[in-house]
Amino acid sequence: MDILSSGLLQRALLEVVILGATCGALGVWLLHLRHTYAAESLAHAMLPGLVIATLVGAPLLLGAFGGVLGAAALIALAARDTRVGPEVAVGVTVTTAFGLGALLALAPGVPARLGELLFGDLLGTSTSDLVAACVLGGGVALALWAGHRSLAAAVFDPAAAPSLGVRPARVELALLALLGLAVVAAVQGLGNLLVLALIVGPAAAAIRVGRSVGAQIAVAAGLGAVAGLLGLVASAELETAAGATVALAAIALWVLAALLAPRAPRAATRRSLVETLGG
Amino acid sequence: MRIVFDKLAGVRWLTDPLAIPFMQRALLTTLLLAVAAGLLGTWIVLRRLAFFVHATGSATFPGLVVAGAWGIAPPLAALGAGLGFAGLLSRITRRGATGADAATGLLLTAALALGVVLASDVYRSGAGVDRLLFGTLLGLGDGDIALAAAAAVAALAATLALGRTWLATGFDPGGAPALGIRTARGDRLLLVLLALSVVAVLPAVGALLVSTLLVVPAATARLLTGSLRGLLAAAVAIAAAESVGGLLLAYHLDLPPGPAIAVIGGGVFGLVALAASIGARAAA
Amino acid sequence: MMSGPPAAASGARASGVEVRGLSASYGGGAAVLRDVTFTATGGQSVAVLGPNGGGKTTLFRALLGELPTAAGSATVHDTIAYVPQTERSRLDFPVSALDVALMGAYARTRWYRRIGARDRALARAALERVGLADRTDERFGALSGGQRQRVLIGRALVQDAGVLLLDEPFAGVDRTSEEAIMRILDELRDEGRVLLIATHDVEQARRWDRVLCLAGAQIAYGPPAQTLTNAVLEATYGEEIVMLDCGHRAVAIQHHSHTH
Repeated sequence: MDILSSGLLQRALLEVVILGATCGALGVWLLHLRHTYAAESLAHAMLPGLVIATLVGAPLLLGAFGGVLGAAALIALAARDTRVGPEVAVGVTVTTAFGLGALLALAPGVPARLGELLFGDLLGTSTSDLVAACVLGGGVALALWAGHRSLAAAVFDPAAAPSLGVRPARVELALLALLGLAVVAAVQGLGNLLVLALIVGPAAAAIRVGRSVGAQIAVAAGLGAVAGLLGLVASAELETAAGATVALAAIALWVLAALLAPRAPRAATRRSLVETLGG
Repeated sequence: MRIVFDKLAGVRWLTDPLAIPFMQRALLTTLLLAVAAGLLGTWIVLRRLAFFVHATGSATFPGLVVAGAWGIAPPLAALGAGLGFAGLLSRITRRGATGADAATGLLLTAALALGVVLASDVYRSGAGVDRLLFGTLLGLGDGDIALAAAAAVAALAATLALGRTWLATGFDPGGAPALGIRTARGDRLLLVLLALSVVAVLPAVGALLVSTLLVVPAATARLLTGSLRGLLAAAVAIAAAESVGGLLLAYHLDLPPGPAIAVIGGGVFGLVALAASIGARAAA
Repeated sequence: MMSGPPAAASGARASGVEVRGLSASYGGGAAVLRDVTFTATGGQSVAVLGPNGGGKTTLFRALLGELPTAAGSATVHDTIAYVPQTERSRLDFPVSALDVALMGAYARTRWYRRIGARDRALARAALERVGLADRTDERFGALSGGQRQRVLIGRALVQDAGVLLLDEPFAGVDRTSEEAIMRILDELRDEGRVLLIATHDVEQARRWDRVLCLAGAQIAYGPPAQTLTNAVLEATYGEEIVMLDCGHRAVAIQHHSHTH
């Protein structure tokens, strides 16, 4: 295999391994706090930021930052809605933001880069992208290490957390900020529609096998890196889209873990089908 | 520049497109879709299925890609993909090991990634992908109109026949069976109808933006009225108005209709929400 | 083996709760709890009795300093710990009994430090004390309701709390565990701690040293024998009360509401 001999692939490989480990570790907490919708919404709703950055020729990272901030503000506003319910309000917001991004990107005379923004361009990883991923990934890892106990108390027992010296609302906000950072780091490589795979896939697999949170985080980070590696190598061998193949590899790990791990006990109360799906 | 001084420019902006056959077809299709989407959208909003519907829409993407390549009717392939997604999701969530939100996110992303690989690498359908993701004005054919009409009739019939069941189940899922209501059957039918309506709106708004018709108008209606009849009627009316506006915008700006309707729908929702909260503050 | 804790232990800590004219509300709205005035000193266990929505949780949150007091004051002498209902914690979360007990040391451990050996020993001792020495590595969610409740009491011991707020500690707990928990609570009381035990069970309330009746406002406070009169119970529970045995026993009918 001469995959590793090309600088293009070396950079992409390094990038995807860093991203996989970061997103995987973060994903464990997001799943425990049941924030998959937030991750999905944030990633989708940042599209206008990405499109505007490419339109004005600004660095994508800057657009991603702006996009995530704007999306987070809108989603937080919508999530306070009590009339239609937070899920629906967030859904409306995300659809609108996504539509706006597509509108700007598909306008006549605009260079066709929408596909890259939606589905990523791993092979286009530049050295500065790599540096950014290292910095953002390192920051996320450091914050997860520092906040481990606070997160555990906030997830396990939010009612008693304040008397343990932990403020759950602040912890959740901090975790969502970390999610924003991870999405910013990963969006160039995986695109705003596929980032979710690296965040949720390895973490969902790790939760099936790890017995403590620490073990789950370690396993998820490892699986994320493996998914990145396998996905990228497979995409080079099969000549398929790199970001999409990495996403499929991450999800395949979850399927594998679900098949191999012992069956979880059934939930005691059976809810109606629509209730279950509506969450 | 002459157009600027033409007093009839505004009227022509509205009427000119209507003289064109493909725009007439598009208008007819979206008006029929508005009936289906408004009625079912009400149930989507009341039963909190917004994310599920969005995910089902995205999940049809690989189906649409292979339909083009294999020569199957796209609605059939999309329906298969949508129903497959819903079936798989309900199996996974019933086993209880992975939460509904995580499983939805994973399956949705898997479908998108699969679609990308199939479209760009296996079948190299390249240019058509934008159309699949964001809808088309030009490509709406007789088959799409027929499908939209079928969805409208099915949504109307189901709302008349099953409305009470859905309302009771949504209000009190635990207590409804004791009232003699067959909740499981009603729920299953609702999900099948949702899959059908997702497939019906696909050609007009695309796989990524099915919520623009199926969720946004009903959510806007929810801000305006509390009664079920009012909701159903308002959702249909809003869906119709927004899709006509979106079609005109898309025509004039040379855009796919999905994003145009999404931006108009989101703008209307934002204005109504703002007006409602100002009204509530004034009343207080 | 000692027959009971030494009497000298009583009053060893200067624990206490002092509430004067307390009114509390959520987000500056109308007061949901009014006119609460009571003093509990070390070595007293106090039943906080009242219907759902009567203000038990509000009082606890005010004592924990999580609610701004609209009027009056709530002063707590000594470290305070909250022992929640075990059903409220996440049973699918992968923590062992020891992990949960160790959470009691979180507040005093700086974020960049590991939890110290002393605290680890303390957590093991606390679990031993609540009779779970052989279950330290068991997953919290796999324990029985009564065992989980004891782990949470153990966590309060690791916090070294002199004031314990217990939220329905006997809800969903089997008979054997109930007796074990009673015994532990009595021991803690005898060491000079203050226990506030929220309950809606009138019979249960009679067992403790004092009873505080809440129904939006304070109805009564004092020793159960004098306090739990029919008039007080009617004022506390309104029409939800059912008298048995010609007024000697009373049963409160609870309308359970789901809070998600």
